[in-house]
Amino acid sequence: MSAVVSPIREPLVTGAKTYHQITEDLISPTERTPPASWVIGFILSIITFSFGAFCLLWTVWHGIGTWDLNRTIGWGWDITNFVWWIGIGHAGTLISAILLLFRQKWRTGVNRAAEAMTIFAVMCAAIYPGIHMGRMWMAMFIFPYPNTRGPLWPNFNSPLLWDVFAISTYFTVSVLFWYAGLVPDFATIRDRATGFRKKIYNFLSFGWTGSAKHWQRWESLSLILAGIATPLVLSVHTIVSFDFATSVIPGWHTTIFPPYFVAGAIFSGFAMVLTLMLVTRKLLKLEDYITIEHVESMNKVILATGSIVGVAYLTELFISWYSGYVYEQFAFFNRALGPYWWSYFGMMFCNVLSPQFFWSKKLRRNVLFTFFMSIFINIGMWFERFVIIATTLARDYLPSSWSLYSPTWVEIGIFIGTIGLFFVLYLAFTRVAPVVAVAEIKSILKTGGDQYVGPKNAHKMHHAHDDAHAHDTH
Amino acid sequence: MKDNTSNIWIGGKDLTNDPEFIEISQKEFAEPTNLIEDLGNEEVAASMGGNRRDFLKFLGFGLGAATVAAGCDIPVKRAIPYVVKPDSIVPGVATYYSSTYVSGGESLPILVKTREGRPIKIEGNVYSSITHGGTSARAQASVLNLYDTSRFTTPKMKTSGEWSASNWADVDKAVSAALASAKGVRVVTNTVLSPTAKAAMAEFSGKFGGSLVTYDPVSSAAILDANEQSFGDRVVPDYRFDKADVIVSFGADFLGTWISPVEYAAQWAKGRKIKDIKNPSMSRHIQVECGMSMTGSNADNRIMVRPSEMGAAIAYLANKIIGGVTPPALNKDAKDALDKIAVELKAAKGKSLIVSGSNNVSEQILVNAINNSLGNLGTTVNFGHASLQRQGSEKELTQLVSDINSGSVDVVIFNQCNPAYDFAGAEALKTALAKVKTKISFAASNDETTEMCDIVAPTNHLLESWGDVEAKRGQFSIIQPTISNLFDTRQYEQSLLTWAGSSNLDAKADQPYFDYLKANWKKTVFAGQSKFASFQSFWDSVLQDGVYEGSGSGSTPSFSGNVASAAAGISKPSSSEVEVAFYESIAQGNGQFANNPWLQEMPDPVTRTSWGNYLAVPVNFDGVRTFVGYNELVDGDLVDITIGGKTLRVPVIQQFGQMEGTVSLALGYGRQFGIKGDSVGVNVNDVLTVGKDGNVNYYNIDATITNKVGKEDYFSCVQYHHTMGVKAAEKDTGDIINADEAATVFFDYFTGVKGFQGSLTDRSIIYNSTIKDLKKNVEILGGKRAHAQHLNAQQIYNGFDDMYETGHHWGMNVDLNSCTGCGACTVACMSENNVPVVGKREVSRHHEMTWLRIDRYYYGDAKNPNVVYQPMMCQHCDNAPCENVCPVNATNHSTEGLNQMTYNRCIGTRYCANNCPFKVRRFNWLDYTTADLFPANQPSLAGEEVPYGADNLTRMVLNPDVTVRARGVIEKCSFCVQRLQSGKLTAKVEGRRLRDNDVSSACMTACPTGAITFGDLNNKKGELVKKNTSPLSYLVLEEVNVRPSVTYTMKVNNRDTSFDA
Repeated sequence: MSAVVSPIREPLVTGAKTYHQITEDLISPTERTPPASWVIGFILSIITFSFGAFCLLWTVWHGIGTWDLNRTIGWGWDITNFVWWIGIGHAGTLISAILLLFRQKWRTGVNRAAEAMTIFAVMCAAIYPGIHMGRMWMAMFIFPYPNTRGPLWPNFNSPLLWDVFAISTYFTVSVLFWYAGLVPDFATIRDRATGFRKKIYNFLSFGWTGSAKHWQRWESLSLILAGIATPLVLSVHTIVSFDFATSVIPGWHTTIFPPYFVAGAIFSGFAMVLTLMLVTRKLLKLEDYITIEHVESMNKVILATGSIVGVAYLTELFISWYSGYVYEQFAFFNRALGPYWWSYFGMMFCNVLSPQFFWSKKLRRNVLFTFFMSIFINIGMWFERFVIIATTLARDYLPSSWSLYSPTWVEIGIFIGTIGLFFVLYLAFTRVAPVVAVAEIKSILKTGGDQYVGPKNAHKMHHAHDDAHAHDTH
Repeated sequence: MKDNTSNIWIGGKDLTNDPEFIEISQKEFAEPTNLIEDLGNEEVAASMGGNRRDFLKFLGFGLGAATVAAGCDIPVKRAIPYVVKPDSIVPGVATYYSSTYVSGGESLPILVKTREGRPIKIEGNVYSSITHGGTSARAQASVLNLYDTSRFTTPKMKTSGEWSASNWADVDKAVSAALASAKGVRVVTNTVLSPTAKAAMAEFSGKFGGSLVTYDPVSSAAILDANEQSFGDRVVPDYRFDKADVIVSFGADFLGTWISPVEYAAQWAKGRKIKDIKNPSMSRHIQVECGMSMTGSNADNRIMVRPSEMGAAIAYLANKIIGGVTPPALNKDAKDALDKIAVELKAAKGKSLIVSGSNNVSEQILVNAINNSLGNLGTTVNFGHASLQRQGSEKELTQLVSDINSGSVDVVIFNQCNPAYDFAGAEALKTALAKVKTKISFAASNDETTEMCDIVAPTNHLLESWGDVEAKRGQFSIIQPTISNLFDTRQYEQSLLTWAGSSNLDAKADQPYFDYLKANWKKTVFAGQSKFASFQSFWDSVLQDGVYEGSGSGSTPSFSGNVASAAAGISKPSSSEVEVAFYESIAQGNGQFANNPWLQEMPDPVTRTSWGNYLAVPVNFDGVRTFVGYNELVDGDLVDITIGGKTLRVPVIQQFGQMEGTVSLALGYGRQFGIKGDSVGVNVNDVLTVGKDGNVNYYNIDATITNKVGKEDYFSCVQYHHTMGVKAAEKDTGDIINADEAATVFFDYFTGVKGFQGSLTDRSIIYNSTIKDLKKNVEILGGKRAHAQHLNAQQIYNGFDDMYETGHHWGMNVDLNSCTGCGACTVACMSENNVPVVGKREVSRHHEMTWLRIDRYYYGDAKNPNVVYQPMMCQHCDNAPCENVCPVNATNHSTEGLNQMTYNRCIGTRYCANNCPFKVRRFNWLDYTTADLFPANQPSLAGEEVPYGADNLTRMVLNPDVTVRARGVIEKCSFCVQRLQSGKLTAKVEGRRLRDNDVSSACMTACPTGAITFGDLNNKKGELVKKNTSPLSYLVLEEVNVRPSVTYTMKVNNRDTSFDA
């Protein structure tokens, strides 16, 4: 590297980009014909999604009896997957809102994709409360709408009703936040597009002209939405945890659940962001925007939240022993040593032990290792929800009713289908909108002062960086 | 024709005094017609020509259909309104008729509840001094057989191997022709309890010289033979379990299946109640057996002997009591225990009772000798009201086979019996039957025997019949019809009398057999009484009460059996590796109830399995953390068991209390007809052997069992965890530990964790005590309850405790000490509340819908444990966890303390079921009631073509007061809220306060032992409050503070722990 680079502030965008280059890099994927890898991925996603939709219709037609739930275990993969997806849907808003408020400028590299991921994950999650109902065609009963039955209101004491409000609010705010961020970028696409495309993006960009007034209002809106979204990040999973915490079932009836669920959600959300971003940056060649610094930062969050989750697990064990309450004691004894010991072991290994590798800076900056860890954590967090839901119900108060549970192909199919849906939406998203917030990334280009070398040297610097980068990662 | 001069007339024919109309209007019962076919015929339905009975049938059926249809959104099709309301029927008001449930030698006086002309529910008749209103699961379920789709709808005849529908005139002609030229005629029947039917049979055999062949599906012939030899009286004595302080049963399952279990259970329970807690006393009950029978599970001590050692055990005790008998070899544990029992028995002379289920005459004579020596004759063993409930002997069947083979029998008539299935020599009988010219069956639906016949003359269902029963000498009860014939059937008695050309039968009468029955009663029972002057008043009283209790006959005979020859004739112990015992299934008998889905679905009280018979194998604790079954078999494994050269493939269940070296298998399964019965279990009747005395042995010493050969497709057991703190020795240290608590560890991470001791026994689910430790355990219970109540008081939401203190507050008490686990309540609940049957596959997935289940836990010594049965239903918690979690308020609390379900509001999140600590909520996983619009989601029970309940005939059994639940909603015990409402209404109409006996739940009325008490917790003087204040009563899971309305009473047994050593 020939130029003198300031060591005070690491650059957030590498590769000596010019503003135009950024536009080219980030907007062009929406303008090109998708590559074969995308097409294959999209077809696979459509197939898995279609299978899920079939399983879903199968459930509606035949009844919940097509699942292997039983009189003892009323929730299984359905609610496990619901909580898992909701947890994944936590990172986006956290990155957008909380990191915005904390002025963490590195967030601009990942916030757009993370927000999209959040929305899609919440959409996947929202399927489950609907279809797990025995009579899903009566699902409107859960909404407090005026009716001729009294009027008869829903039960405001029920955590399931709180869920309805929490999730719908969270989804609405997340969509608003995400879309507000997209408006200037849609305008950029519009300005480059012609014909019908131009009309569509013209509509989507709400007549954005880039005037100073627009920018000022846009920034105010972002801050306000961040302010609204921040408590939601904490509340959604808190309320989801109430589904369990307010019950009387030992292993569910636990006051530690709200913080433990929130930490776990951020943990799994970041893992999922990493899973997606590591693939996206490779395929869309965004290494300069989503840098190793990003990966390391997120790994630090994973280490922190993973450890919080670990402490929560151990606290649960301690409290169950300390309570002197035989049902609580047995519930945790059974989790670890009972018929589902392997899921508890999987949870402990994936969520508590494996993130500890991230104490090593070398591993934090290793892309391949990070990718595998992110998958591990996704699996571990799924196990956590399975442990909490199914294994707890399997052995509660009355030994006469103890039972066992394993899913049918229908339940597995629906889960696979939601993964398919998620990727259908995500892949479509990468083709219609910039996966990195163009306007926002431009605002941080000069963060590392002397890193911006101007258009003249850009070509040279780019090459130099590419070499260094290649050396870094491989 | 003179016009009707009165002011009231029904239609034009009445006005013109049409003779045809007058004749019809004076008949109580119309000509039998085929209701179901007629209903499909619109012309018939539209032109209902003034026949009141038809009208009622249509009406009842229409309302039934409407009830079903109202449960889903299907339009009502067949509702026909009353144009002229019959006097005896008020829509919405139930009418009760007294009658008697009979199946072979089983009988129970009952009340039949009818709604709009349809019988829908069986209740016990409290006027009976035999049952005192108790019922059995079989009696409760019998109403379903009325609406059995497999019933014969017409008489049938077989021509060149093919069945075709026929009519009564043709059948009568064919039978008369066959009888006229017949050399020998036989009527094969199970025990007949009806004196009038016997009179009819006597007329028949008087005419044709045919003799009666009587046998019982499960034989008690040895008792009859032994009593004939010992007392000169071929009957079963009138046992008095309530007067016995020490009861020793040698393999007699007298609480479950033996002779008259409802009667015996009620007597037994009397001696088991703790009346004075400070000075407690109760009877001792010792069961000698190899497998865990329901009676054994209720015993204080079980002595385990191999089936072939039973004779030795009886002889050993006989030697101890009367001396002079040299017993064969017997296992040492049994000897030691019998020594102690002999001492106990001698101390309770005249207050003890020995019974035996053995089918060996010599062994029964020894039992008689012991009872005689102990002075029990005239106290606990009586003959005045001797039981007539078993009269058969399989020797008569054996004789029949040889008679046929000698060519001396031309006509055989089978009276509702199935020897081609349930007779040990069924194969020989089947071969012989081919030689009989004419075979006639009275069966109501097809069975193995009927399939071999030439003519079917289907008899009525009990609820369509007239009849009488003399279950015990001098104790009569009446059978009266509650609906006119659904199909073109005829009572078998009438058929016999018709064929005999009896002059006592007025074939032209409206109800010929009814007149015959009345005439017979006038001649016999009425003549023998002096209370009523006129027969009509006597008859009216009998019909109303349902029972007539006359005096018994005879004095107590003296014992005249030959002990010495009996001692020589007992069965000899074998030394084979495995012996197999066969026992009568509580739900299925010996296959008589195979096509009753309620009884197929009812779990066996002991094994908790349904839809099939399971081979019970012994189980041992391995000393570490696993219960290991015989041959390392686990529940649901398939094995091949070879018995006497015949191999059967059966699924296995590990059975606590099963003796080493023995296995047990239930009779009564593997029926070929019925609910596609061949897929329900295996038939073991053809491996039964006959002993030297000609009686069937219910065990076989020649058995070998393979290792696991596969897994059962649908292991339909409703309880996976069976134990509540059974104790066994640890391998390393030899310490006695809680074995099942050790067994809760599935993987110990190589740490050697020994299980979480106390994890089950510290739960406040079951409290039990031996009578010696009662004082101590009552204190412990009191302490635990006080602690829980103290914790529950530490809350911020005080002030709601008096919410239900005004008006009614419904509650229940369950006496664990009286509950024998018989399951009558579970079937009563299914019947009362339209609880759907789900079939084997769904039960195997734990999708059973029972609102009331009976949990069964083993406790004590793992090898020879005690058992506690805990009926578990919705506890109607006043701080119910299910209510606050429902997002749509579909379940909530009534002002009377009931936890209510609103099915229309339920969206099926199942959160309430998850949050129920008692796991009593049931979800409609699929369309079990076949009320859904899509037929795709109706599970079949056992591969039948039309799913159970999908046809209108079966739906006639539905209780119109109870909503039929659709797919996707939760349901659960409602405390029979419809019965509460009707009780309240009765009180209101009569303008008085509600009394405790105005309301009772279906389970309470069904219970033969009075274990369940239902009532108003606010009625401080009531029976319920009295029971709740007993220091033995407790709330299950009291510390969870859900405030249940159901209390349980501690299980106390009289176990002598010195037997265990």
